[in-house]
Amino acid sequence: MKGYRKYFLNKLLWLFITLIFAFVLNFFLPRLMPGDPVAAIVGRLAQGMSDTTGMKAVYERYAELFGVDKPMIQQFFIYVRNVLKGDFGLSFSQFPRPVADILSSSIMWTIGLQFPAIIVGWVIGNVLGAVAAYSRKGWDKVIMPVSIFVSNIPAFGMAVILLAIFAVDLKWFPTSGGYGYDLIPNLSWQFVKSVFVHYQLPFWSIVLVAIGGQAIGMRSMSIYELNADYVKYARFMGIKDRTIIKYVFRNAMLPQITGLALSIGTMVGGALIAEIIFSYPGLGYTLLNGVMGQDYPLISASTLIITIMVLLANFIIEIVYGLIDPRIKAAQAE
Amino acid sequence: MKHTLRQVFHSGKFVAGFCILVALLLLIAIYPLFVKGDPLAIIGQGTFFPPGTYVNTYDSIYAPNTYTLNLKDAAANRIAQRLPEKDREEMKTWLVAYGIPEEQIDVNDIKALLDIWFENYDPNESLGMIYAKQRYYQRLNDSIRNLLSIEGVILAEKNPETGELQEVGIVNQTDYVNINEVANVRVLPLGTDNFGRDVLTELVRATAVSLEIGLVAGVIATLIGLTLGLLAGYIGGWVDDFIMFITNLFTVIPSFVLLILISFSIGQEKRGAVTIAIVIGLTSWVWTTRAVRSQVMSLRNRDHVNLSKLSGHSIFYIITHDIFPYIASYVVMALILQISSAILAEASLSILGLGPRTTDVPTLGLMMNWAMIYQAHIMGRWWAYLPVIIMIALITFSMNLMNTGLDQVFNPTLRE
Amino acid sequence: MSKVLLEVNELSTKYVTRFHEDVYAVDRVSLKVEEGKSLGIAGESGCGKSTLALSMMGYYFPPLHYISGDIYLDGNNITKMDPDVIRRKILGTEISYIPQAAMNALNPTQKILSFIQDVIWAHNPKATKEEIFNLAKERFTLLGLPESVLYKYPVELSGGMKQRTVIAVSVILGPKVLIADEPSSALDVTSQKMVIKMLVDLMESGFIKGMVFITHELPLLYNVTDDIMVMYAGQIVEKGTADEVVLDPLHPYSRGLMGSLIVPEEGMREQKLVAIPGAPPNLKDPPSGCRFAARCKYVIPQCTKMHTIEMQELGNGREYRCIFSEEELRKAYQNG
Repeated sequence: MKGYRKYFLNKLLWLFITLIFAFVLNFFLPRLMPGDPVAAIVGRLAQGMSDTTGMKAVYERYAELFGVDKPMIQQFFIYVRNVLKGDFGLSFSQFPRPVADILSSSIMWTIGLQFPAIIVGWVIGNVLGAVAAYSRKGWDKVIMPVSIFVSNIPAFGMAVILLAIFAVDLKWFPTSGGYGYDLIPNLSWQFVKSVFVHYQLPFWSIVLVAIGGQAIGMRSMSIYELNADYVKYARFMGIKDRTIIKYVFRNAMLPQITGLALSIGTMVGGALIAEIIFSYPGLGYTLLNGVMGQDYPLISASTLIITIMVLLANFIIEIVYGLIDPRIKAAQAE
Repeated sequence: MKHTLRQVFHSGKFVAGFCILVALLLLIAIYPLFVKGDPLAIIGQGTFFPPGTYVNTYDSIYAPNTYTLNLKDAAANRIAQRLPEKDREEMKTWLVAYGIPEEQIDVNDIKALLDIWFENYDPNESLGMIYAKQRYYQRLNDSIRNLLSIEGVILAEKNPETGELQEVGIVNQTDYVNINEVANVRVLPLGTDNFGRDVLTELVRATAVSLEIGLVAGVIATLIGLTLGLLAGYIGGWVDDFIMFITNLFTVIPSFVLLILISFSIGQEKRGAVTIAIVIGLTSWVWTTRAVRSQVMSLRNRDHVNLSKLSGHSIFYIITHDIFPYIASYVVMALILQISSAILAEASLSILGLGPRTTDVPTLGLMMNWAMIYQAHIMGRWWAYLPVIIMIALITFSMNLMNTGLDQVFNPTLRE
Repeated sequence: MSKVLLEVNELSTKYVTRFHEDVYAVDRVSLKVEEGKSLGIAGESGCGKSTLALSMMGYYFPPLHYISGDIYLDGNNITKMDPDVIRRKILGTEISYIPQAAMNALNPTQKILSFIQDVIWAHNPKATKEEIFNLAKERFTLLGLPESVLYKYPVELSGGMKQRTVIAVSVILGPKVLIADEPSSALDVTSQKMVIKMLVDLMESGFIKGMVFITHELPLLYNVTDDIMVMYAGQIVEKGTADEVVLDPLHPYSRGLMGSLIVPEEGMREQKLVAIPGAPPNLKDPPSGCRFAARCKYVIPQCTKMHTIEMQELGNGREYRCIFSEEELRKAYQNG
């Protein structure tokens, strides 16, 4: 267990480093851009809002949050302190709503949609990839071309196509939203049913895209493993094919887990766009609203939250991976 | 080199991908020769005209020749066009509600149906229907009043002196014009978009711009990745540690988050297609760095490299002569991947409203963005978004195929 | 003459590449392993010796395919058996295999004991975990391996230890014949010695009754095996006892291959550094006549005119594949 603890601490340290780095980027990137960001934002404010008192309040709030007159480093620590308190400032476009309030209502929708969809897509994709690798002749001829084709449709394209077919044409599902527009979120049966129906299309569009990529990866990993020396040796020791297949798929699965950790950022990005297509009330849609409303605090907070979510997901996957692959422990113990 | 190329072109997958890409490039090159003019010119007044051939009605009337054709099914076609089955079913519904026995109504016998309709229909009878439905029936009644008439339409002109209408001609139901003799005919194979622009012309231009963005971004990302990978892999030590630290950071921090932050900070006015391409290139070099580094590390201690070191060649010479030729195939593959993912990144950014500014050029992402904003997908205007999705899928598909083909040639042991 | 354990008669097999090309890697090979004897097979890489090792077990799966010939194990023709019967009754229990590159021969995510369980259950599903553990412990102790290896993953073992573990697993079911394919290549010298000693001990203690040892390293064969065969381009080109083949090679190829071994002779020093010129023929489309002709310095037009060159027997199992007679060859060699 000593090896694993070392691995865990290593990954934990890495999580902290990346979190700090994400903070720094989120703060400094906009300020590194040519031009004065505050002036630019004030300029945008003038376009976006008609309410002068509101505008003034936003400006003061913004000036305070960014502490524009203070040195950059001091501004950074003010920013960090505010964020740690859960204070992301006030939204421009939905003034005077605090950004934290807007985000807290959309985070759950995004997690509830993306987490299950990515896991389900990953599992189905891996099973199909394994089947394709093993059966080669029959299924492989069907699964692979379909997977390659599907994986080349961009995430938003898949979302639009599903929407056009199942919501607009067949009218099986609603076209947009997270629940019926005439409902107020509560725990009634009617609301739950509405959420479930609205959930289907965004969910499957993310799942389908994930399946394509994962199936292709799993197939080539499995084929690689099927040709490994240990397979040949196990065969010549008289071990049954069924047992060998278990070895192969377990071993092919492990790199797929690391692959998931590495690609989760891209997958979340695609899924956010899918949310936008379906006007799903998650972070993607919030982000779009932020862009539309030139709402800088909202955009900055959304990207920070998304980054933290991705970093955490990454961390969890690597921790799980360390538990199931014996090679990790052995490598750390050396 | 020649041998390698021949090998590459023996791979079916590479050839298939290459052919698709070349076909797209030919389309981009040849199409503007035939359809001239600004691809962003607004030609249609109104949104989302469906695909088809648009014939100028005015010019049709004044076509030099009018031909009479007695076609047997002309009348039937005309009725089917003006009174589709859906409307006939609705008429039946009204009549049944009015009290006509259902078995007397045959929606396929149009003449009988119209007879019963004109005999019984009363525009003032609401039959308990909502107002919108009543209006629908009133409109329907107006539009089919002259359906069975065999009279032509009279053309009249205003007398410039008296201001009275004077009959100048008649358009009979059997009159035809030859489309070649009509002065103005415009084919819009993919209709128009929300601004009234020709979708196909726009799509061809957008594909070209998107490919340019992909190429610029891909070249930038590959150059950065190649440089960092070579440095990290060849020099090693703290240089390697430092570069890998940065690379690992940017691997876990999602690149689209950086893209969003940078694009927004640049501001709408300064975001041109090239700017976006550069930003994408600057945020997507990590994979190339990793791949190049691991290749270089495995090459670093090969005999021919050691020999070159012993011969006193400079690092630059060794890298360009003894290392680069061995990783060239990986770099090409990485470049292809970067191009296709940059095209996707541009599309995603544009959907978010952070793409290139909308006034200069169309890109595939912007077309998608416009279609989404104007709800083309919800209104069933497939021609505004489906060709864009297919185009993106074709580009990425062709590039992935080429890459798979290259991979099979250069790493034969790895797969199958 | 003692009992013949393993007899291979005119065996031909092929590889099918993924471009659907046939590679005739083993071409009408015959060999015999008598009880208590070991046979060495030598040849350059790509000459088909590893394929021959796999083909000798009578268990074929793609890309390896059986063409013709017979394999007799203890007098039974196993080429006529059902593959599933071979898997259960022959592999591991009658004839066992030690793979080339044993570094990767063990499933990386399974403990050694768990793999041994799978091996034993594949032949005897009724064995209890306790019986298996006791057997494994006993065998490992007997072969000088620590018991703790059983609880380890392959990554936790050193290269030499891994190879010795593979050998222990290969003989766990008490096979009569052991086929070792380059068991000691890719190991450091100390580990090599230990592995070879382990195999020799297995033979000498009578634990295994016969062995086929495949390698490209000739000094090994000379010291380890009783008989040696030289293989070239899928065919056997020379057979004999270890002394005969190493000290007195007849076939020009064997002579080239052994050249580096015979130190005392004058003028051999140059040959030692100069490898046999040229490359082996492509086995997708083997040349007619003598396959070595293109690289042989004694070649005459007849060598490639005949369709095939047959083996010439000199008695006592000594054979070679060349159109020249023994005298002609010796004379040619004397003249350089």
